[in-house]
Amino acid sequence: MSALKRVQQWATFARVWHIYDASWQNPFKSAELLKKYLMGLHKPIYHPMNDCGDHVIVINSGDIALPGDEWKRRVYFHHTGYPGGATWTLAWELHSKDPTMVLRKAVYNSMDGNLQRRYTMERLHLFPDANVPTNLLKNVSNQIQQLKAKPKRLDHYSENQVKQFPKIFDYPKDYILK
Amino acid sequence: MVFTTAINFVRARGPDEFWRKRKIFKLSAHFVGRKRNCYSIAIRYVHRALAYATKGRKLRKIDMANLWETRVRAGCEQHNINYDTFREGLVRSDILLNRKTLADLSCWEPYTFKSLTDIAKRRALDDGLAGISSDNKLDGIITKGCLNRNK
Repeated sequence: MSALKRVQQWATFARVWHIYDASWQNPFKSAELLKKYLMGLHKPIYHPMNDCGDHVIVINSGDIALPGDEWKRRVYFHHTGYPGGATWTLAWELHSKDPTMVLRKAVYNSMDGNLQRRYTMERLHLFPDANVPTNLLKNVSNQIQQLKAKPKRLDHYSENQVKQFPKIFDYPKDYILK
Repeated sequence: MVFTTAINFVRARGPDEFWRKRKIFKLSAHFVGRKRNCYSIAIRYVHRALAYATKGRKLRKIDMANLWETRVRAGCEQHNINYDTFREGLVRSDILLNRKTLADLSCWEPYTFKSLTDIAKRRALDDGLAGISSDNKLDGIITKGCLNRNK
């Protein structure tokens, strides 16, 4: 094998590190996206028995946005194995206990249950905020595009920008704003 | 399980018990435990294995087609083109390659695959297919869709 071919093979099978900013993202749709990188589905060399998945670092998983009123509707079931050991935890409760768990479970459940799933999950590194250890961060060579751009809040615009924004009409003086 | 002979088509109704059973034992040779050597147990598992083999012949084709599609989708994604747009663009350019060939190209001949995606993109642009944005890198490519370009 020539030196070129050898390097080519290293480059093909090397694990790439991706970073993903989960702030204001739907965790269940993000899971479908992250799964692709974790399992290596984005590579033309993919095969279920070919261990070609990449690492993904997810930051700001504390700032995920669940659709609709799912924070209080979605329930996570756990059973300790003992009689009466079943617990049902609401999404907002789980999130206040561990801000990475909702996204971790979303990714875990998006994959098929086989022997590879637990090892694939090992390649997912979740952080509730933007504090990532430097030894992980220095591996990163690609950023995964967010599903949706993070919207900017009204109070984050400067007062001047808000004033200059084109208005269609002025409210009448006696109109009571809710 | 691969059968290279027509052994399964022969109806074993011979008078000699040994040869009749031997045929079954040959098929159960790779089983583990008593289903390998005890005839009455082996025959049940051989019947089951043959049924699986029949199903497997169809499933293998489906599985391979799915795998090729996954690989071509991955290749398309690297070049920012949707899989459906890519296939439609190729068909319209009279490049009639199947999923197996496209998957092999995306894996082993990435530059060839890139040229295919470029052609598909150009054709999709010329024919005004949805989901593709203009790119001046594609200006040098000529397809039959160019005839529609300035209409």
